[in-house]
This record gives sequence, structure tokens and C-alpha cells, in this order.
Amino acid sequence: MADALVVRNLNKRFGGLRAVQDVEFTVRENETLALIGPNGAGKTTAFNLIMGFHRPDSGSVSAFGREMVGLRPHDVCAHGLARTFQVAKPFGGMTVLDNVMTGAFLRERGPKAAREKAREAIDFVGLSSRESTAARDLTTIDQRRLEMARALATQPRLLLLDEVMAGLNPAEVDQAVALVGKLSSRGLTIVIVEHLMRAIMAVAKHIVVLDHGQKIAEGSPKEIVENPEVIRAYLGSGYAQSAGAAT
Amino acid sequence: MRLRGRGGIALGVGIAVMAVLPLVVKNAFAVDICIRILLFAFIGTAWNLLGGYAKQLSLGHAAFFGLGAYTSTLLQIDFGISPWIGMAAGGVVGMLASLPIGWLCFRLRGPYFAIATIATAQVLMLIFLKFRDFAWGAEGTTIPNLGNAPLMMQFDGKAPYYYIVLCLLALALAITAWVERSRIGYYLVAIGEDEDAAEAIGIDVPRVKRNIYMISSFLTALAGTFYTQYIYFIDPQTAFNFSVSIEAALVSIVGGIGTLWGPLIGTILLETTSALLQSWLGNSIGGVQLTVYSLILMAVILWKPTGIMGYVSELTRRRRGKAAGS
Repeated sequence: MADALVVRNLNKRFGGLRAVQDVEFTVRENETLALIGPNGAGKTTAFNLIMGFHRPDSGSVSAFGREMVGLRPHDVCAHGLARTFQVAKPFGGMTVLDNVMTGAFLRERGPKAAREKAREAIDFVGLSSRESTAARDLTTIDQRRLEMARALATQPRLLLLDEVMAGLNPAEVDQAVALVGKLSSRGLTIVIVEHLMRAIMAVAKHIVVLDHGQKIAEGSPKEIVENPEVIRAYLGSGYAQSAGAAT
Repeated sequence: MRLRGRGGIALGVGIAVMAVLPLVVKNAFAVDICIRILLFAFIGTAWNLLGGYAKQLSLGHAAFFGLGAYTSTLLQIDFGISPWIGMAAGGVVGMLASLPIGWLCFRLRGPYFAIATIATAQVLMLIFLKFRDFAWGAEGTTIPNLGNAPLMMQFDGKAPYYYIVLCLLALALAITAWVERSRIGYYLVAIGEDEDAAEAIGIDVPRVKRNIYMISSFLTALAGTFYTQYIYFIDPQTAFNFSVSIEAALVSIVGGIGTLWGPLIGTILLETTSALLQSWLGNSIGGVQLTVYSLILMAVILWKPTGIMGYVSELTRRRRGKAAGS
């Protein structure tokens, strides 16, 4: 399989804080990669660097063979990368359909075609019954669904999901996990930032662990939960024991 | 569907009334008020494209109003060029001026953007005040009266002016209606809601803002030419008056920003109120009509921050909700 996203030597400082240091990872096409780590580890910063919201001090981000560093976010999106935000940013005053149509306009110039594409995406995330609701009136999970639908409507090849499961109840997490699985089976490459290990184990075959802006581990879920450094920095020894007891 | 049919009828009746109004109303004062309403509805509609849909609260549209006014006047007095051509030229000058102004001001967001736009209009006013050789300085100039000269945009009665500004308003409304339905309209509203989210789904935010600013400035400059021709006089204080900027924003906010009819409805309400107050209270204690006007304004903004159109759509939604529920 070809590489969808290759991140090399990525560095970003904010004043004295080295938010991201020499981070490297590769995502293969149609793979789901999870980026985990404690708060402040640099996960969201890495997203912002990849998507062009911040410019890295050094390093390269190549998506489907094209260099993304130096491009503005809308250009990155036009190259087939779409993202959701950690704190959902729906266009509150617009209806669900209008929100998603706005995304669909990237590839479909006419309102009719855009509306069609938007309905597909809304249907895919299971929001069809809320189509004419104002985005600001949606529940948390529905706002996350909306963000996903809006991102999907831009017809991306690579989707970056930033903590889409934060604040959801267990039943909703199951729904979200199923949705990510469905996206992946549709052929999308996914990079997901998440704290919930249960969800990560369910969706990702490949995990990268960041701590203080540096990559401290990379591997399969099993390798990660057994990695002593990951346990020290992030999971805690309690997790290792309970995970060990479960298996 | 039924609502849309009813809306169509209302629109037809509205257009018919507007078209025959000067034939029925012979009172020059009343026609003058109508012209002012249409003029500010036009400026408000132009402002609304940028300030309403994209929520870029410009308080410096007087810059373009003034540039339009001065361009056509300079062309007419110095070169004898008809204001009809001057009007188009003024539009282009306004549009081009929006590029550097936008380049400067769009770096700022929210209130900082608003303040920066105020400054640009003030700077332009000062330039026209101080550089006397260039355009008559502070005294300004009167437009030579040629009697009834339609080719020079001069007419005997007020009715022709009424129709000119009615056409301008129709043009601005047509552009707005088109924008609302097209991709650009969605992009503008998205930018007004959240610029980062808009960028993330592939919207070139600076470019979209620049383009709509150009259209908005072009239209506002046309209003400047019209106004100067209508009052036969120009000076920096009139052309770059801060109240033009304020009025453009105000009529839209009161009527409902980001809606097609909001600026027109807002202007009708505000201008009528102001004219009525003037005739009722104008002779009593000085300034009392302005005080009452301001109080009404504050009441409307506090009571319905989404404007009249926001209130109307809320009502229809509620009624529809009830109909769906029963």
C-alpha cells in the first residue's frame, strides 16, 4: 500500500515551549492511525501543522506525494485532507444541511449538486432527521457528527479527527467507534487523536504516542499497552494491570 | 409553498407601488424622503453583503461613498465628462480602493476591523480637506446647474432621481439575491460564523472577503455619485461623513443583517421615524427628536438583536412548527 501521509522531522516552538519536536510518522493508505498522549503532548499542534493552521519551524508533511508545508488550510483541504476540531466549530446559525453543503461546494459548484452530496454525507453520519435543525441546537454528539459530515462533504482522502469522542457517554462512544469503522471501510485514511483507550483499541491498528512534543513510542495496540515508557508517561500502571487482567 | 406564493404577490405589489409612487405623490418633501429611503436602503444593501452575510462590521463605507462622489464630480468639472460615465468610473475607483483598505483592515477581526475601517474613511476625508489644489479643499464646490440635462444626470423634477435610485436599489437587491443562492453566499455566512472552520473545509477566506468587499465598495461608490448629483454640492464633510458609514450599518442591523430585505425594511423604519419625529418635535427643544430617535433605536436593538427580519422569520418558523405539530 502507498503512503498517504508522511511526516518527517516536524518541529514547532511557541516561545520557549517546544510543542512538537522531531516528530515522524507515516500513515499508509486506508490505515487508521491513532495519535495518543497526555494533555499538552502536542497532538492538536501536530494536526494544526499538518493542516496548515500553523507553519512548522522545520520538517515536512507530505500527503499523497505532495508537500503540504507552506500551503494554507484551504489549499490543504483542496488536496484531499479534511479535519474536525477538538471543540466543534459548526456554523451555528446555519441548518445542518447548509453547514454540510458549504463543505460540498469545494468540489461541486452548483447548489443542486452540492445539496445532493451534502445529503449523502449527512445520511452517512446518521443525521438525516436533523437536516433542517440549526447547528447550534444540536447535542454534543450530533455536533461531532455534523463536523464529520461537513468534512466528508469536501470528499477527502485523509480525515483527521481531533477528539471526536470527548464528552460522549458510553453508548455514544460505541456509535462513534462504529462510524469511524464505517469511514475506514469506505476507503478513507484516518488519523485520530483520542484519549479513550477503549475506543482507540477498537479503531486503530497503528498507534503513535506523543509526550512533551516528542514521539515516545509507535506500534500496534498490543505493543503500546505493554510499552513501559507509555505506561509511565500516559496510561499509568493501573491500566497495564487491568489490561493484563482482561487478557 | 403557500408562503412563497404570498411572498411573490407581496413583492409584485411592492414593485408596483414603488414604480407609481412619484406619479401619485406630488409633494416634493415626501418624494425627497422616499429618495433618501431608497438611497440608504441601497447603501445598506451594499454594506449588508460584507457586513451582514460575512459579518465584517465595516464602519468605513463613507470612504467609498466619498470616492464615488469625488470621482464623478472631478471628471465632470475638470473634463466635462457626464456623471453617468463618472458614476461607473467612481464605482471602479471605489472597488480598487477596497483592495488596499481590505489588505490593511482584514488582518484585524471583530471590533478592531471596525475601528480600522473608520480610520480609513477619516484619512480620506482629511486628504480631501487638506489638499486644496486637488479638489476644492474644505469649501467644496457646487455642481454647475445645466437645467434639465438628462445626459448629465440633471433633471427638473425629483421623480427621475427617484427612478435612478430605485434602479440602483433593484440592482443591489438582485446581486444580493443571486449571492444568497450561490456558493458565495454560503461561503460568506460560513466566514461570518467561524473563519477557521471555513478555511478547514477549503474556503479561501481572504479571497472571498476581498471579492465581496470589492462588490460592496463598487455599489457604495455609485451611491456617492448619485447623492452629489442630487444635492448639487460636494465637500469632504458631506462626501466622507461618518454618518453615512453608521447609517449603512444601522439600517441593516435594525432591519436584519444577512437578509435580503433587511436593509430596506430597516431604512423605511428608521428614515420614516426620523422624518416624522423631525416634523413633530423639530420646533420644540433642540435635539429632542434625535434623543427620541436614539431611544427607539436602542429599544429595537435590545428587544430584537436579530432585526426585524429575524423577528419575522422567527414568527413564520413558529407558525410552521405549529402547523406541522397539529
